[in-house]
Amino acid sequence: MDPETFRRDLGAWLDDNANDLTPPYEGIGSMDAHMAHYSHVKRALFDSGFGRYGWPESVGGLGGSPLLRAIIGEEINFRDLADPNAWTMIEVLAPTVIDFAPPELSARLVPPFLRGDEMWCQGFSETDAGSDLASLSCRAAETDGGWVVNGQKIWTSFIEYSQRCVLLVRTGEPESAHRGITALLVDIDSPGIGYSPIETMHGRRDFAEVHFDDVFVPADRLLGEVNGGWQVAMDILPYERSTTFWHRGALLHRRFSDLAAQVSAAGNRGDAAAKALGQAFQWIVAFRSRSRDTQHQLAAGEQLGVETSVDKILITSAEQQLFETARDLLPGVMEFDDGLAAASWRNDYLYSKAATIYGGTAEIQRNIVARRLLDLGPES
Amino acid sequence: MSQFIDADDLALLASSFEAATADAPGPSEADQALYDLGWAELLASAPGQGAATAFNALGATGSAASLLDDVVVNALGAEAALQSCCVFPAPHKAEAPGHLRGETVMVDGLLSARAETAVAAVLGMGTENGVGLFAVDAGLLHGPAVDGIDPGRAYRRVVVEIPAEALEPTAAEGSWESAVAAARVALAHQLLGGARWMLGEARQHAIDRAQFGRPVAQFQAIRHKLAESLVQIEGAASVAGACLHDPDPMLAALAKSLAGQAARTTATHAQQVLAGIGFTAEHRFHLWLKRMLVVDTLFGSASSIPAEIGHQLLASGQAPRLIQL
Ligand SMILES: Cc1cc2nc3c(=O)[nH]c(=O)nc-3n(C[C@H](O)[C@H](O)[C@H](O)COP(=O)(O)OP(=O)(O)OC[C@H]3O[C@@H](n4cnc5c(N)ncnc54)[C@H](O)[C@@H]3O)c2cc1C
Repeated sequence: MDPETFRRDLGAWLDDNANDLTPPYEGIGSMDAHMAHYSHVKRALFDSGFGRYGWPESVGGLGGSPLLRAIIGEEINFRDLADPNAWTMIEVLAPTVIDFAPPELSARLVPPFLRGDEMWCQGFSETDAGSDLASLSCRAAETDGGWVVNGQKIWTSFIEYSQRCVLLVRTGEPESAHRGITALLVDIDSPGIGYSPIETMHGRRDFAEVHFDDVFVPADRLLGEVNGGWQVAMDILPYERSTTFWHRGALLHRRFSDLAAQVSAAGNRGDAAAKALGQAFQWIVAFRSRSRDTQHQLAAGEQLGVETSVDKILITSAEQQLFETARDLLPGVMEFDDGLAAASWRNDYLYSKAATIYGGTAEIQRNIVARRLLDLGPES
Repeated sequence: MSQFIDADDLALLASSFEAATADAPGPSEADQALYDLGWAELLASAPGQGAATAFNALGATGSAASLLDDVVVNALGAEAALQSCCVFPAPHKAEAPGHLRGETVMVDGLLSARAETAVAAVLGMGTENGVGLFAVDAGLLHGPAVDGIDPGRAYRRVVVEIPAEALEPTAAEGSWESAVAAARVALAHQLLGGARWMLGEARQHAIDRAQFGRPVAQFQAIRHKLAESLVQIEGAASVAGACLHDPDPMLAALAKSLAGQAARTTATHAQQVLAGIGFTAEHRFHLWLKRMLVVDTLFGSASSIPAEIGHQLLASGQAPRLIQL
């Protein structure tokens, strides 16, 4: 299906079903409410067929370009219909699981994920392995018919709502770094998994600390090769920085438009306000343009790589600049107002601070650009 | 009718443009060399790609060639020629440079080096029905010589009064707005070509220069400055490239502003990485820096365009969805 027809048909369908698809909560809503509505929207999209485009038929999709998935998220986010962060997990994890899981496994497990019946999470970071992910130590030992996992993970987003987790474990010697890591697809209800939610500074229970105590994982849950987990992790990165970024860029665009509307309505139309708005907008557009190029590379079947760090730096800078500008142009609103709109600004402002931390910090991205794109040689 | 040139031909053009401008001793020689290479025909047949290629080359070689006159004249629907020049808006502005006061036209704008040899100039003047386009004898625009900061005197300020009767209406079909957009996109490419040159110089210096027993490129503070420059350049370049398929004037304005910002950031970081040697008259860095400062002010700058766009957004109370998949 060609993208423009798809966008038009989808738009008409979203408009027709606006009542059903609009969140039942006002303002930011609770995490539970968000997740319930997110699943509802995903299911409606899947059952209408729109949500199946851009995914291979082998996992319940209807085929077609990944551009169609970019368009769905864009339209959903411009209309503010579902939580973009929960959606991110599909775009980040499903393509890689499809690439690395045995076909019969992905044929069975991916469709409920795409339909929003299931949520999956990403168990990479550990207390002592943040930016230095290759130093992770959560261990999997080979056993009869599979693996036994022991150790812990932290910052695992959405685990409270998840059925499965893409987990990175140490299978080589402790010093084996990225050569001794394996990726497993683990059921969260496996005996021996426990987690304690961690409240974020923006007042959400987004992520948790996870413990693995003799957790058995069957052999057929291996993603890729034994000790080949680093390739799996690296395969995820370009997906994390293509479709999901286009979705998030749409959200930033909508929030920017909200800001322009509020500042305009408040009559704050001086040069200083205009300049601040224009400066914030130009980086949103720069990101969007760069990301558009990336979406087309992905759609053309090109292998995306380290150059997506440029997209990452652009979107995180644009996001933080947007919400700093909102704080300046809506004076005192974030700090002293309890209205619904203020709560949203507060939420988004605080959450924007995580943008330069998750998915590889701002510093790590600049290290990658320096080493790989500018070819500056190794660091001292 | 505009045609589309494939990537290989463009790369070939780019290198011949770079060679020609790098060898030319001054702006008029550079103009002549580019005309000899078929610049005017290229501009007429493929204005977007032609200007992008040529202006990137101007940026990369630090050339003072006056191709901006041609871009504006072409966008106004007239034929580019070495005898024609154009009056550009005053620094940081995009408004037409002419204003009628009774029987006198007040001209406050900028001229390129082309104006010194050109016979006729195109002057945009604000009227009740929008911007009117007039032809005027280029000799009337000559004022006192001003050196300014530009190393090759590529541009100079013109503030003169001329009698209204000296103006002749032109038959140009293009609008001032579309000429502004075309100029902005071309200049964005020039700024980006210059920014990439500055980044390249700083990168090479960082690799070659050793302190504390190792190349300074190994220091993270240096690496991050260069990385930040590249990211801004790539973001701006993507928008400038998008203008090829989308004539939206707001997009062109953003391309110019972003390219100006990327050039400012890169100049600051490159200067710091080059350190002492980059502060000398001997090192070529300052030539690019000064040209960049001048080009940034043409047709609105990285500091004036955001306010211009912000006012449009405040007036409409929403942000248009620029850039489609
Ligand atoms: C909202 C949120 C959601 C998250 N969700 C998940 C998830 O679902 N799954 C998951 O696995 N993880 C998740 N994370 C974790 C995230 O990936 C890590 O926080 C991130 O990798 C950074 O690790 P760290 O916090 O330990 O910081 P550290 O690595 O300890 O870094 C501390 C500081 O040192 C800097 N630094 C470190 N190394 C270098 C270097 N080589 N050069 C320069 N500076 C350096 C960093 O940039 C940072 O400023 C999430 C984090 C957040 C904030």
